[in-house]
Order: sequence, then structure tokens, then C-alpha cells
Amino acid sequence: MPAGLMERVAPLSIPATADFDRMRADRLARVRANMAASGLDAIVLLGNTNVVYATGATWPLGDPGRANFEQPVAVVLADDEWPHLFTPLADDTGLPADHVHGPVYLDLDEGVRRFESELAALVAPGAKIGVDEWTFAMSRESKLLFPDGRPPSDGGKTITKAKAIKTPDELSVLREALRITEVGIAAVQAQLAPGVRQMDLTATFLASVFDAGADANTLDPIWQVMPPSMAEGPWTTHGDLACPLLTTERELQRGDVLWVDTSLTYKGFHSDFGRTWIVGQDPSDRQRAQFDTWKAIVDAVLDVTRAGVAQSELLAAARAVVGGETPWMTHFYLGHGLGIDAAEMPYVGSDLGEQFDSSHALEAGMVLVLEPLVWDDGAAGYRAEEVIVITEDGWEPMTDYPYDPF
Amino acid sequence: MAGTIAVEVVPDDLALRQERRARALAEMEADGIDILILGREGNARYVAGVPRLWTAGSRPFTPGCVLVRETGDVHLLSTWDEGVPDDIPHEHLYGITFNPMNMVEVLQGVAGATTATRVGTDSLTPMFSKLLPMAFPAATVVDGESTMRRARRVKSAAEVAEIRTSVRVAERCLAVAEKRFAPGVSERQLTAAFMEEMALAGVTTPSSQDVAWITSPTHPWHHGDRDRAVAEGDVVVLAGGVIRGGYTGELARTHVAGGGRPALLDRLEDLRGRLLDACRPGRPTADLLGAYAAAGVEPPPAPVARGLGLGFDLPIVTADLAETAVADIFEPGLVFALTTYVWEEGVGAAMATDPVHLTERGPELLSEPSPEDDQ
Repeated sequence: MPAGLMERVAPLSIPATADFDRMRADRLARVRANMAASGLDAIVLLGNTNVVYATGATWPLGDPGRANFEQPVAVVLADDEWPHLFTPLADDTGLPADHVHGPVYLDLDEGVRRFESELAALVAPGAKIGVDEWTFAMSRESKLLFPDGRPPSDGGKTITKAKAIKTPDELSVLREALRITEVGIAAVQAQLAPGVRQMDLTATFLASVFDAGADANTLDPIWQVMPPSMAEGPWTTHGDLACPLLTTERELQRGDVLWVDTSLTYKGFHSDFGRTWIVGQDPSDRQRAQFDTWKAIVDAVLDVTRAGVAQSELLAAARAVVGGETPWMTHFYLGHGLGIDAAEMPYVGSDLGEQFDSSHALEAGMVLVLEPLVWDDGAAGYRAEEVIVITEDGWEPMTDYPYDPF
Repeated sequence: MAGTIAVEVVPDDLALRQERRARALAEMEADGIDILILGREGNARYVAGVPRLWTAGSRPFTPGCVLVRETGDVHLLSTWDEGVPDDIPHEHLYGITFNPMNMVEVLQGVAGATTATRVGTDSLTPMFSKLLPMAFPAATVVDGESTMRRARRVKSAAEVAEIRTSVRVAERCLAVAEKRFAPGVSERQLTAAFMEEMALAGVTTPSSQDVAWITSPTHPWHHGDRDRAVAEGDVVVLAGGVIRGGYTGELARTHVAGGGRPALLDRLEDLRGRLLDACRPGRPTADLLGAYAAAGVEPPPAPVARGLGLGFDLPIVTADLAETAVADIFEPGLVFALTTYVWEEGVGAAMATDPVHLTERGPELLSEPSPEDDQ
């Protein structure tokens, strides 16, 4: 493991260990405040990460197809400090026993009918209930959610807004998710050599992170070999870079430029990691210059980053370093939120547009992953991710993984 | 092998793609659906045959793939053409977007969008229920998930072969976890061993990520701390699955730390035999619940049978869906993970999950006999 991993940064605002009961109570208070503002008496949540946020229950996330059929479901009531959880999980949820119910199968009509009778016992007649998403079985069988056949209002927004701001407990757990990721990354980086297959890197990463405490891997790890020029890569809809591309059994060659991107979960928090590595040799002067420009972009963005600043100011700072060009992937963003999901609000520099970025400001407690890139056609490019937390007067780093070999 | 990842990302086999797309189109025809919009990855893979980046956990509905009945055209959410077959031309690819209005614009560009009267989706969000009418002004939005379920439920011979290959990979990974199994090893380390072997075998996508479970002698369905180490006498379930070429292969076996064979494992084998006997063409899937009852065993809260296919399919058989199981018939061509589960106070829980292909003659196991079966 490289020296200094997670040693150089330990923001004072982040506790060494999290209080999970306090974390759950803080979250529920926010969600219920958002429900009150939206006039919702109850929300029904199906989305895995929404359920994680609302109930504090965590489990190793599985394939999305299975997640559809066998999903824990949460019900949050405006007048109850505890959420209800309907779950097939065998894990201890930490919720009062009368708030934990057996599994419901909302993709099947009979499952919805059973859920409907349990929901009816929890909500008052005429209650206004929001949902984050629904199945057609729900629209067929649930009168509570579809009174008069009209679609229910959006209950997911109450979570989206709440989860963007992290409490110190949440930052503590997220930091552990990032640390576990970087343990795996360090093992992978030590293995990097010509002749190693991309899949071998995945094998090492998975073995290391599960051993180190990961609950689940959440993104098929990316070790993309970048072509020297964009024209040598796949066709794209926008004429920009194709990234991320899937990992194969391809053997790495000396001098390959690898763009790395991974994510896992630990106790309900998604990590994110991105770096550029060169296989089997030191970076050339041209490659070092790419890194220097990337670092200059990150520094320029961080210089303007603090609570209250409009997202558009970060974009302007990044562009100013490279003569007005857009130094990030146009199908993604300059930066994104991180925590409950691998990418969540705030999105900075996405196709939500300039108007969106100029009308949205950063807030203290937001976690931001900055991922600018430098593309130097003919010599590939440099991309890495910097995870920070926004504070009132600036920002704090969440990790300190080295940029070797740069 | 097509549809899997060797040194190049390639689409699923042409024959498999054509056969699946034809079945989806036939079911659209049966439901009178003009345009089908699929958000679920298994559905999108079924229709398009394109491997896309895997992420864990459920995702809210977003249009990931569009199938047009009149032309058979497929539009696919893919910012690049890697792994995309020629039958999906560049002009039918659309890129990642965070702006729902940009997605509406993509949908408006689908031929027939303005005149379609029935548009199916596989689920919905409040946002897309408001946006879809902007792209399909003449259409009613209807259930497209049941359309896809009918198409996907019965597996073709080629699909069964794909699942069998996925089961092989899962067996190889489970065998490695079993080698690591001994007092002192933690649940996490066993999961790590499975996952590492999976990637070495050329597959990077698990179907579930909870490989080892030290069962509880005091509670029938409790999962403790995953850092806990296996102790002498613990009854431990090793269960794993992979998604390879899009298709799921899964299995589970039970081991006792330090050896020994409690009577619990005999009860497991007895029930397992009864459950396999209950898989009879033409009979209701409720017979599985009947077999549990006849053996005097309480079924687990999780499904006792769950369809395997491109991701996950029907049937789902569980005590919580008893009426469904009475009406649900074992048809030849179904493939499912059959779970036998027995808990005994003071001992623990034993579980076996077998990948079963139902043929005209009865159940065919897609897995090799486990080492215990030979004893």
C-alpha cells in the first residue's frame, strides 16, 4: 500500500466512527420535513438506495434484475419517527419489531394486494401518498396509491433533496467506503504490468475490497485502455470520447494509458475512485504536462469552491484554465454528488444546462467528485477524480490517494 | 463466445438476438403495443443484445431501449457503438443524459411517435408519466412489463445452453470458496474468494454479492455481522451466482465447519428430493409449497423458486404469493433456481439452490452433482 494512504487528511469535522442511530434519526427528520413541505402524509419507496436512505437498512446490492423482483420496500409516515420496512432480508435492521414486515412483491398483482392491506393499516383514509416509482401491478391493484386512477405524486424528491447534504456521521461512513476502495486500488496498482489482463485487475480489486470490508461491488470496474487519438476509439453519438468502456480479457501492453473508475458500497454508501495510470513505464514529458494541466484545472475549481457559490462559477474556473474549452466528458459532468448513490445531486456541468448550473449553489455538507480531464489528441489524456466535501468557507479533501506515477 | 467478454466487447449471437426480438415483437402484437420503452436492463438486453455497463441495485425507470412494432427498429441508450450490432444503426443510438427534456427529444425522434396509440413501458416514475405524453401525444401508456414477461418466460434451447454455461462459471467460483471454507475464515473472505475466481474466469458481474452465510441456531432467518469468523460446528450456506452473457447461473450448498453431518442435512436432502419431484410439467408451481408442507418444513421468507434467464424472470414461487402459485403452471422450458431450506433450532439452517430446467420429462439439473452427492 502506498505510504500515506488516508493519513494526510482527516477533516476535524468528520468523526472517526459514526453513530448510526443518530444518522438514521437525522435523515428521517429531513425526509419528514420535505414531506411536510410537499403536503405528503406518507411515501412509499421502491428504489434500493431510497430504501437504504429512509430506513438505514443495508444489504449487499445485487443485479438490478433481481433487485426489481425481490426488493425491500420502505414506507415513511409524516407522523412517525420510525420508518416501516417490508423486507426479505435476514439482516438485523435496528428498527422496532412492529416496523419490520415480511417481503412484498410489488411486481406481481397478488403482492400489491397484500401490500395494500398492510398499507391501509398504516395510513389514514384519504392520506396523500407519494411514491418514487411504480410497477403496473401497483397501478392495477392499489387504490391507496392511485385514488381515482390518477398517478401518485413524486415521493422520491423528498429523498433526493435530503440526501444531497451529508451529516458528519454520513461523512464518516463515506470516508470508510472510500478507504476500502483505495485498499483495493493499491493492490491493483501494485499488480499493474505488461501481460496482466484487465480482468486480472478486477479479480484483485474484488478480492481486496470484499476482504477489506466492502458490502458490494457496484460498478463493473473500469480499466479502460485509452487510444492515443479519439479517432481510434469507437464511434460516439456526440463525437466526444467513448468512456467508460467495458473491461475485457485484453492483456495490457507497456505504455498503455489506463483510465480507472470504480465504485463499491459500505454500509449504504457508494464510493468513487478515478485515476490515470501508465502500464510498465514512467509518464513521458507530454503526459506529465497533461497531468499538470489537469491539476491546474482542479486547483482553479477548488479556489472558487465553497458553500453559496453558484455551480456555474466552478465551470467558468475550469474552462478558464484551458482557453474556454470544456475539460470534462460532455455526456457526464465536471462534478457530481456522491454518497447514497454513485452519482447524485449536485450535478455540475451536466446537460441539465447552463441555466441549471447558474441557478444552483453549493451547500455545506455536499460531497462533490470533481472529474475534469485533459485530452491531448495523439497522446491520449489524463483523467482523475477528486472527492471533497463542501464547507462554509471552502472545502475539505475526503481522501488522499496518490497520483503515482505522476 | 458472442455476448461474453473475451478481448473484445461483442453483441449477443445473431440467432439469439433474432429469436428474442421476434418473440418480443409477437407479444407486442398480441397486446397491440406500437412502441415499447424498456428501462430494465434484462428487458433491454433481451431486445437489443448489447452488453452495457453493469451497476448493482435497482434503477428508476428511464428509457434505455425502444422497440418499434411496425418496423422492428431498436433504439438504444448507448453513447458509443462498441458491442452494438449492425442491426442497430448509429442514428438509432442515443447518449447518456441527465436532462429529461433531452430524453423527450430522443423519444420524439422515434418513427411513429406522433401517431402511436399504445406505448408500453416496463415500469414508471412520476416524472416520466408526465413526460411521455410530450413524446407520444396520441398514446395511452400501458403495461409493457407483462408483455416482456410472456416473451421471456419460456426459454429456447439456445437460452438454456447460455444459462448452463453461466452455471458452470458459478460452480467453478463456488468450488474455490468451498476450498477456502474452514473454521476461522470470515463470511467476507469467502465472498472475496468467489468474486476473485469469477473475474479470473472472465466474468465481472455477480447476480448476488452475499456468498457466505453463517446460519443461526437460534433464529431461522438471521444474518449476523459479515466479519464474523466461521467456528467449529457452524452450519454455513455458500450461495453464489454470476451474470455471464447476460444470463444468470446460480446455486447454493451447505457445509458444516469442521466436518460432521447433522441430521439437518438429511432433512435437507429429503426435502430437496420432494421439491424436485414436485416440478412436473402441467402442474401448478404451488406444488412446491405443498412439498414443503408435506415435509412439515416452514418455507423461507425468500422465494423457493425464482426464474433464471436474462437476469431474472418468472416464475417466483413463495408462500407470500400463494394464489399466484396456484394459477402458475410448470411449463416445459422454464428455468429456475429451486431453493430447499430447512432450519432446526439449536443447529442452524441448511439450504440448497439448484438451477433447474423443466423439460417435457420433468426437471433437469443444469448443475453438476455437488461433491456431497457422490458420497
